[in-house]
Amino acid sequence: MKKPLLFLVFITMISSCKNEPSLQKYFVDKSESKEFISLDLGSSILNADKLSLTADEKSALTTFKKINVLAFKNDDKNKVNYQKEMKEVKTLLKDKTTYQPLVKVGTGSAGASMYFVGEDENIDEVVLFANKKENGFAVVRVLGNDMNPSDVMKIISIVQKSNINLEQFKPLQKLLE
Amino acid sequence: MKKNILVFVFSLVSFIGFSQAEFDKFEDKDDVSSVIVTKKMFELMSKVKVDAKDKEMQQYLTLLKKLDNLKVFTTTNTKVATEMKTSVTSYLKSNPLDELMRVNNDGKNVKIYIKSVGESSTVKELLMFMEGSSKEVPSVILSLTGSFNLDEITSLTERMNLPGKDELEKASKSK
Repeated sequence: MKKPLLFLVFITMISSCKNEPSLQKYFVDKSESKEFISLDLGSSILNADKLSLTADEKSALTTFKKINVLAFKNDDKNKVNYQKEMKEVKTLLKDKTTYQPLVKVGTGSAGASMYFVGEDENIDEVVLFANKKENGFAVVRVLGNDMNPSDVMKIISIVQKSNINLEQFKPLQKLLE
Repeated sequence: MKKNILVFVFSLVSFIGFSQAEFDKFEDKDDVSSVIVTKKMFELMSKVKVDAKDKEMQQYLTLLKKLDNLKVFTTTNTKVATEMKTSVTSYLKSNPLDELMRVNNDGKNVKIYIKSVGESSTVKELLMFMEGSSKEVPSVILSLTGSFNLDEITSLTERMNLPGKDELEKASKSK
């Protein structure tokens, strides 16, 4: 009896590995690359313990895990790669069953789009993708655990309230120079 | 497994819902700035809890639930503006909409079309085309689908600061 069960667990493990969002894989692959800047920000960045938060805000914060940033700086040397990598991210995000598109804005040479993963009341991830021809592009993943829309709004307001430790964003400044 | 099927059905529905695909080609064009908001976004926004006393906000959230897709394309490039015009004309040929109003002032030519259900005041689709005559006055295509009332959407155009809000306000009042 035990063996089939083990086998089943094994199969589920394998298949769940395969189902892992490919954007995750992309992040892991590219964080090693020199052309990319990658940042991993935990919830401590919000300095939440120093803020006086309401009970609602506190509970919203518990659903928030971390923010992952991956950025590519475009300069003369890597123009070809820029096109290639942009295309790759766009293809990954085209998977509408995983990344449900929310908003998209663009001006031709620059653009930004937002997607979410999960269900309406249980959001697992919010993905932001922004690009500007002269600067490069950035993918931001806000990872959480069953966030609901109100939680997301609250987290945003906490971010606005908190004195975010900007030191951690230094690498990104290079992008905007 | 059931969930997968549901997801599939939903994505299919959203594909069918994309009747405005005619204008999608403007999305990636240079010289065109675009804003696209999906049904999902409206749904999520409408689920945000707000102060129950804020009547105006409540009203706004009720409206959001009724919306499907919003697309706005703006350009100051005269060549693209001509393309937009052609695109609107051909779209109206394949998807006949009722002309709601036509305004011509300040160097812009605004036309608003709607698709309503029977005699009711429920609007299924709204298409606005603003034709600018010069570089200063941009041309705009605004397309909104869902199931809403015309007088409701003025709160949306105001909050989102969409183009043509004065014209839309006039249109909803004249109805």
